[in-house]
Amino acid sequence: MSSARLSRPRARRRPGGPKRVVFFAAVGALLFVVVFPFLWLLQMSLRPEIEMFSSAWLVWPTFDNYLALRTGQFPRNFWNSTVSSVTSTLLSLVIGVPAAYALSRARFRAERHIELWILASRMAPPIAFTIPFFLAYRYLEMLDTVQGLVVIYMTFNLSLVIWMMRIFFDSIPRALEEAAWIDGGSVWGSFLRVTLPLSAPGLAATAIFCFLFSWNDFFYALILTRTQAMTAPVAVVNFMQYQGWEWGKITAAGTIVMLPVVIFSLLVRNYLVRGLTAGGLKG
Amino acid sequence: MAERISEVIPAAQPLPRAAAVPTGWAAQRSRAFLAGLLPALVVLAAITLAPAVYLVVTSLTPLNLALPEQTTWNFSRPWRNYAELLQDERFGNSVWVQVRLSFFTVILQVLAGLGVALMLNARSRVLEAIRTTFLIPMVLPPIVVAIIWKVLYTPDISPLHRSLAFIGLPIPSLITSPQFALWAITIVDVWEWFPFTMLMILAALQMMPEEVLEAARIDGAGAWQLFLRVVLPLLRPTILVAALFRLVDSIKAFPLIFVLTNGGPGSVTEVTNYYAYTQAFNFSYLGFASAITVVMVAGVFLLSALLIKMVGKEVDVE
Repeated sequence: MSSARLSRPRARRRPGGPKRVVFFAAVGALLFVVVFPFLWLLQMSLRPEIEMFSSAWLVWPTFDNYLALRTGQFPRNFWNSTVSSVTSTLLSLVIGVPAAYALSRARFRAERHIELWILASRMAPPIAFTIPFFLAYRYLEMLDTVQGLVVIYMTFNLSLVIWMMRIFFDSIPRALEEAAWIDGGSVWGSFLRVTLPLSAPGLAATAIFCFLFSWNDFFYALILTRTQAMTAPVAVVNFMQYQGWEWGKITAAGTIVMLPVVIFSLLVRNYLVRGLTAGGLKG
Repeated sequence: MAERISEVIPAAQPLPRAAAVPTGWAAQRSRAFLAGLLPALVVLAAITLAPAVYLVVTSLTPLNLALPEQTTWNFSRPWRNYAELLQDERFGNSVWVQVRLSFFTVILQVLAGLGVALMLNARSRVLEAIRTTFLIPMVLPPIVVAIIWKVLYTPDISPLHRSLAFIGLPIPSLITSPQFALWAITIVDVWEWFPFTMLMILAALQMMPEEVLEAARIDGAGAWQLFLRVVLPLLRPTILVAALFRLVDSIKAFPLIFVLTNGGPGSVTEVTNYYAYTQAFNFSYLGFASAITVVMVAGVFLLSALLIKMVGKEVDVE
């Protein structure tokens, strides 16, 4: 159940002859079902506005829809998304990584409770956090601020960091840091110089997951922001209120929101199972 | 630690610094670890535990942001929201919608994931590239998935509707039809999340002991027998865990419903999560919405605890 290695499956006897044709036809059909909707969005974003409703399958592509996004609020929304996701990721790493290391190396009596707590916060639907945060932010005047988003994104990012990094630290032999201790290093000094550099790939994967989950958030930003701190996913949906004549903007903005996600996800594809099941499964 | 060092180092030699302070070092170390853990625990308590308590407290008040004077911190009838909930038909309906949505999406995702995983589990560069491509729906931002399918489900712009009309089989809009709207959502959810079950099952297939499969083949097992008697039992724990994860997450369904149907037509696709959202943020009944949420969270925990108890014996789930 550890990281799913897409690259190294067991060999299996391959179907030959006519069976093989049927097999590849089926794979081709599936591929179409998976990829077509995604490609359709891409091509719509490149269509001129007047061709949006035409039945022509091929039209000369244009970047007008993307250029139209330069004016208006969208650049700001994109910036809000970036700032809130990156800040929340960094804060969660700074607070969560030492905790993960401590949990990996020392035995605490409350360990079991901490695990259950993390699991519970992962299972709870977002609305359970949204209502109290909304009321608190109203009182603290933090509604519609990027800081407010950073804090609520930590509700999932911090648990994710603690859970994932602990598994990575568990896999790093203790002998190395014990050697550093004998040489007179402090616990955290040795951690920074020895253990942390060794877990760099895990750290990168964890950071990417935090970023992705924050970037993909729609629900929290929908409720906790209005105009100032609105993020890109909410902005995309707001173009929908003028249904029928902003399809160009909707699809172009959707494509912009999706591109970093697809690229980052493919980078961490070997850790996908681990990231998505964090909080429930070890390893 | 200190003992081990003194064993290794002969007493005649001067002791290294670490071994010179045996008990102090151990205490210092556990203090250092505690110092690393505490900030995270404090923050986690502040952002998850405190809101949970606040939610439960709010659910005992009739908090309505349109009438803040009378309703804030008003505990005169603490159980009123829950009593109302029991009689609320729309709440009952939302639970029933959720049950059907969760049931069909989880079943279909497991079947699709299993089928595709078995199909693509072979060593080849082409299949490897295809496996990676199949991850796309899962990694797209949920809101982009919703937009993609909004396009495909909107008749005047959809290539799907146009093609069907072209071959003489025009169909009405699915997302505005009381009969098909929930199915429309189910289809998209399965499209979005079957890669997850596929990925988990592929991982399990790759770890399957080749000797066992070989032994069964030598004993004359056909492809079907091999699958039913050997492969499926070995996959069982993985399938159960994948289904559990999808079940818990299916209760969070929001962006799809928000963009595609808005809970409609009527309340045909209004799941409990969505109902709580409308009560809280469209009508400002935050007290009542909190009560819905408390019931929903309790339901999720109970259901998961029950399932983990059933599944837990065979799988290492927390």
